[in-house]
Amino acid sequence: MTIRPTRAVALGLTAGVVGGMFGVGGGIIVVPGLVLWLGFSQHRASGTSVATIIASASAGLIPFAIDGSVDWFAAIAITLGAIVGASLGARVLHRIPARNLTRAFSVLLFVAALRMILA
Amino acid sequence: MIEFASFLVLGLVVGLIASTLGIGGGVVFVPALVVFFEFAQHTAQGTSLAVIVPTAIAGAFAHGRRGRVNWRIAGWIAAGGVIGGLVGSAAALSIDPDMLRRLFAVLLVVVAVRLLSR
Repeated sequence: MTIRPTRAVALGLTAGVVGGMFGVGGGIIVVPGLVLWLGFSQHRASGTSVATIIASASAGLIPFAIDGSVDWFAAIAITLGAIVGASLGARVLHRIPARNLTRAFSVLLFVAALRMILA
Repeated sequence: MIEFASFLVLGLVVGLIASTLGIGGGVVFVPALVVFFEFAQHTAQGTSLAVIVPTAIAGAFAHGRRGRVNWRIAGWIAAGGVIGGLVGSAAALSIDPDMLRRLFAVLLVVVAVRLLSR
């Protein structure tokens, strides 16, 4: 595969801004960017995206930490749960009807969005 | 203690859902902390980033072992990501929390539509 540093840096910049702005990883930008712009397969795109998020989320965390806008107690508890949950998820991945789960989850996101707009 | 347990359960549920659907946890942590735990928008986002860093390390390790990480490209993206992350976070902190919460809702709708269309 041809290495395209300019495209990769531009992709990282965009994902970093979105990630820092919203407190998310930025995979929503990196994964489609790698697939559509750099010719990655979906699997390699997901794996590579997670690796880049270590750096961008660490950088994004710094201003929030300085500002005192991090609840470290909550972060530690959530992290412990998330690591167990993710490894369970990897195991049951093929046993859950993904389509139904995706639909149910999308509805949940719409409801959350509505609540955040109206709140 | 009860508080610790409820955060632990939040992480567990989100980790399970996110890994099954192949999405990041941040997009769920932020609204969950705001809606269920009554976090301020900025604190929810900062806390979400604090969770994302160690979980991404664990994720990258798992993907790396299966040979699913292109480390060279990842390095270039990370270089841009560090600058972008600093800029994005600084911008978020300077935005009014109510405005930021509504912008976040727009992001949620985008994620939901993308999930439905795949």
